[in-house]
Amino acid sequence: MSSLLTDHLLSLIIAVPFIGMVVLAFLSERKWVLSVTLAITLINAALAFYLWSQFSLVESGMQFVERMEWMPTFGIEYAVGVDGISLLLVLLTTILPPLCVLGSWESITSRLKAFMMLILLVEGAMLVVFTALDAFLFFMMWEVTMVPMYFMIVLWGGPNRIAAGLKYVLYSLAGSLLLLVGILALSLQAGTFDIQSLAGFTYSENSEFWIFLALFLGFAIKLPMLPFHTWLPDAHSEAPTAGSVLLAGVLLKMGGYGLIRFCLPIFPEMAHAFAPTVLWLSVIGILYGGYMALAQTDLKRLVAYSSVSHMGFVTLGIFSFNNEGIEGATLQMVTHGVTTGAMFLLVGHLYDRTHSREIADYGGLQQRMPRFVAILSLFAVASFGLPTTSNFIGEFLILVGVSYENFIFVVLAMGGIVLGAAYMLWMLQRVAFGEARTDAARKITDINAREMLAVIPLAIVVIGIGIYPGPLLETMDASVTFVVERLAMGQ
Amino acid sequence: MMIYVLIPLLPLAAAFVLAIFGEQLQGKGQRLVIPAVALSFGVSFLAFLDVSANGAIRVQVFQLLNVGQLKIDFGFYLDQLTVLLLLLVTGVSTVVQVYSSRYMVSDPRHSRFFALTALFTAAMTLLVMSSNLMVTFIFWELMGICSYLLISHYSERSSAARAATKVFLVNSIADAGLLVGIILTYLSFETLDIPEILAIAQSANDIPTESLTLITLCLFCGAVGKSAQMPAHVWLPFAMEAPTPVSALIHAATMVNAGPFLLVRLSPILVLAPNAMMVIATVGAITALFAAVVSLTQTDIKRVLAYSTISQLGFMIMLCGVGAFVAAILHLIAHGCFKAFLFLSTGNSLAGTHRHLESSQEKPALSSSGLFIGALIMSLIPALVIFSGSYQFLWISQSSVAANIALWIVGLGTIFFTAMYLFNCVTTVFQRGPTGASDSEPVVRPSLFSPRHVFGITVVVAVMIALLIGVWRWFAGFLSPVVGGMQAQPASEFSAWLLLPLFAALAGWIIAYYRFSHPGPPHTGIWKKRLYVFFLNKGYFDEIYDVFLVRPTIKFSGWMWRRIDQGIVDRLVLSLGSASIGIARRLGYLDSAVDNRVTSVGTGSVTVAHWLGKFVDTAGISRTVDGIGQGADATGRAARHYEPHTLQHNLLIVVLWLVAALGFFYWIAG
Repeated sequence: MSSLLTDHLLSLIIAVPFIGMVVLAFLSERKWVLSVTLAITLINAALAFYLWSQFSLVESGMQFVERMEWMPTFGIEYAVGVDGISLLLVLLTTILPPLCVLGSWESITSRLKAFMMLILLVEGAMLVVFTALDAFLFFMMWEVTMVPMYFMIVLWGGPNRIAAGLKYVLYSLAGSLLLLVGILALSLQAGTFDIQSLAGFTYSENSEFWIFLALFLGFAIKLPMLPFHTWLPDAHSEAPTAGSVLLAGVLLKMGGYGLIRFCLPIFPEMAHAFAPTVLWLSVIGILYGGYMALAQTDLKRLVAYSSVSHMGFVTLGIFSFNNEGIEGATLQMVTHGVTTGAMFLLVGHLYDRTHSREIADYGGLQQRMPRFVAILSLFAVASFGLPTTSNFIGEFLILVGVSYENFIFVVLAMGGIVLGAAYMLWMLQRVAFGEARTDAARKITDINAREMLAVIPLAIVVIGIGIYPGPLLETMDASVTFVVERLAMGQ
Repeated sequence: MMIYVLIPLLPLAAAFVLAIFGEQLQGKGQRLVIPAVALSFGVSFLAFLDVSANGAIRVQVFQLLNVGQLKIDFGFYLDQLTVLLLLLVTGVSTVVQVYSSRYMVSDPRHSRFFALTALFTAAMTLLVMSSNLMVTFIFWELMGICSYLLISHYSERSSAARAATKVFLVNSIADAGLLVGIILTYLSFETLDIPEILAIAQSANDIPTESLTLITLCLFCGAVGKSAQMPAHVWLPFAMEAPTPVSALIHAATMVNAGPFLLVRLSPILVLAPNAMMVIATVGAITALFAAVVSLTQTDIKRVLAYSTISQLGFMIMLCGVGAFVAAILHLIAHGCFKAFLFLSTGNSLAGTHRHLESSQEKPALSSSGLFIGALIMSLIPALVIFSGSYQFLWISQSSVAANIALWIVGLGTIFFTAMYLFNCVTTVFQRGPTGASDSEPVVRPSLFSPRHVFGITVVVAVMIALLIGVWRWFAGFLSPVVGGMQAQPASEFSAWLLLPLFAALAGWIIAYYRFSHPGPPHTGIWKKRLYVFFLNKGYFDEIYDVFLVRPTIKFSGWMWRRIDQGIVDRLVLSLGSASIGIARRLGYLDSAVDNRVTSVGTGSVTVAHWLGKFVDTAGISRTVDGIGQGADATGRAARHYEPHTLQHNLLIVVLWLVAALGFFYWIAG
């Protein structure tokens, strides 16, 4: 066991969800299914934290690397490893599922076992995506994440779930097609699927542009970037709570992670060439997402559009090509996963009670649900980057990073923060304050201990990082410096 | 040195304990908060003694950020300016907490109130103590959110909820400017450490004046927001929705002072940007005058006090703008103490809905004399401050004669109007008595112009002048190490000009008294009426913002969402998808004719294309349904129709995709 823990820790973390799926297959009682899933996800989170404690802060390369031949004919390996950036996303990926299980404890009434298996499947697949060192493995698991999410939307979703699910699959497939083309073209030239070796190879002049574009579009759709974002509000709002949490919390981050892992180190010159366009698209996305969120009457859609805005910050940071920007972007990805995940959990708590996502159906919740409103307020203000929450640290670093490039982006992005304050506080005003507008809102009950338990850890994370971000930033510092140095070569 | 960490830590700890155990401590929150804040005041006093004996102190706590070139230390920098503000903040906070323990009794959200006021105290002390501009910004915003949460204390009132949102949004726009300014400072100075920045600013540096002007204006933008200067002044009257102790603590005595504090803290940068200082002085002057006139016309007593705060803050900002930083801080502290006193002494008679001057049903009680004395002193403060600190005031204004005269006029006008509205306020409530009160009830009215009072006032004024001149000398000497610019020593000779402010205040009193004792038909003449209505409506700022800023933004966002996002962006991508299906289909047929190996890929893509076609159609159908709004019926039918297929299809398709991809790869590689 000790050797398993020390030598194959990463594979163990990846395997736990899949093993959990098998275990779940033999269970039938509702209580058991829930608690076993919770236990499995908690074990995995604990393992991920153990991984973090064993992580060396000074090394810039991959750690905990494990390689195994898989399809030797094509040079495809099972190769996993983590650096600082992927470690943080692994942590995020393992923190959210237990909270999803808690959040859907009572709300999932039909086919519970299947639902829990899907949660585990998403978790497992995403862990591989964030740790894969082999481009083929990366792509395969990238595709696999789509399947459980689709089923979650279509089987357990809201009234428009079919259309939303189709749209989600359609966009995802378009993105992964481009990604597939890009990855195949890469490995055809370089003759390997190993991501680190891909970065060292020089590609032919004219192919470089197209490969970069294909990869970039593939990741941009997932993020999503303007103008490929329209799948997101539909998918988010129709998905069940756990689906929305995983979708917004972790799945979107695959796009940002892909940009840092593939686009930047493999094509530094192309990244520099594309940077102005991407930066402009990012700030437009920040403002556009903010405006769209202001117009929403549906709570989940509001949060979904706010994600578009926040993901604009992520690309803004990544394409400023310096430590401040990229570390800010990674922190923003983690922190957005936590806040938006919590927002969806909270909206889910409301939805469980009244079966309405309309802002207009609530009002005056503070009188009936003081605990809920306190936590909702915390995450609402965190969402627009109030200082002392982690979002502020991320946004501040991104703004400093991009200020080295061009100051106009700072000014424009600031507009996005103001818009963020506007839609979040306006939402809070209409939902939490004033007088209840419907009978359902008048009779609503405050959240119970289990529901509190689902969001309190996230609240601690948000404030903890906001006050003391050091450990997270130190974790990724060496890895980001490595990427930045690689990028500096492309100038 | 580390003992000074207790200053913010004690209120912070009290706030956390209350936040977590609030339900158990219901009604007893003050027993925790008052000792914490009072102890914090005690430690502040120690810091004051320490600093006045040994000079500035630095305390390093931990490193907040160390990324790339950016290094942010979380630490404290206590100098003369800081300790003065610490005393003000913790002192006023203690008094207000003691007062609130009676005022908020039996309030359902008792713990929340005390937790938030304690958190606010911690944030404000951290703000003044912070040694780094970014940390300053953090607590700047934290104060803002405390203010937001306290304004929405009576959250059942939708007016309170609306006011809270409005207040925070106005501030967040200004704070965006502040953050821009901080990042600009970082780009120019390459550090955000306040002592380092000040050292760079005071030494010879090659930072161009233009960028210094820009930095100063951006930082001033934050001060405009927090200190309610025009055009962002609209938030302060709305903030009066908060419970009265909050109005006293946050919206009159402490938080609003953050603006002048920031300007004085960064005064060495300010003096390097004379153009920016001109802007600051102008904004402050306009605000001071405008708000003074507006408060003359208001009938809601809390609103009168709010506009009076705006006016006084404008005065401080103006003093900063002309380089009289020490005078600004003296005014700040004097105003903070007296405004808190004023609010608290009126608090009981203002409780609840009886806030209108005309309809006040309260019998004048002991509190009335409090309001009375507070008002008297208030009206004299600007005069006295100018009087005592005018040497500095005169010094810098020599730069431009026109500006000098303009600022003098504005300053005197403000003093004049301040005296007038405060007189109005006091006499209307307590002399004339509440309107609508039946005559049968005997009303005790303090008579204002008894010889006793006149004598008392004369003595008070004389004593205060003497005190202020004495205090001023010590004060100017004490603060001189921290403020920028050339500091003129207080001259000893007496200048007749310095009597002008006193005369202005006196004139205000006399005119107000005349109007009070000779109530003629009010507001005759079309111009007079229009002007009155204009100021009664606070210059229509709220309406203008609402019509030209708020509503268009909301409307525009709705329009953009329906027309652009759903109408164009969404459809564009879908039509791109359907176009590619056609291509894929054709490619599939072509390929199948070529090679066996290719055939497999071809059939794969044909299947995919068929499937894509089906999916696009479905999506298209539901989209049209959504768009035209034929009802959920059709969507439901479409959904029922497609559900059984899509499930199996989808799994199949994903598998097919993987197989096709593998096949394609095999064909290429092999």
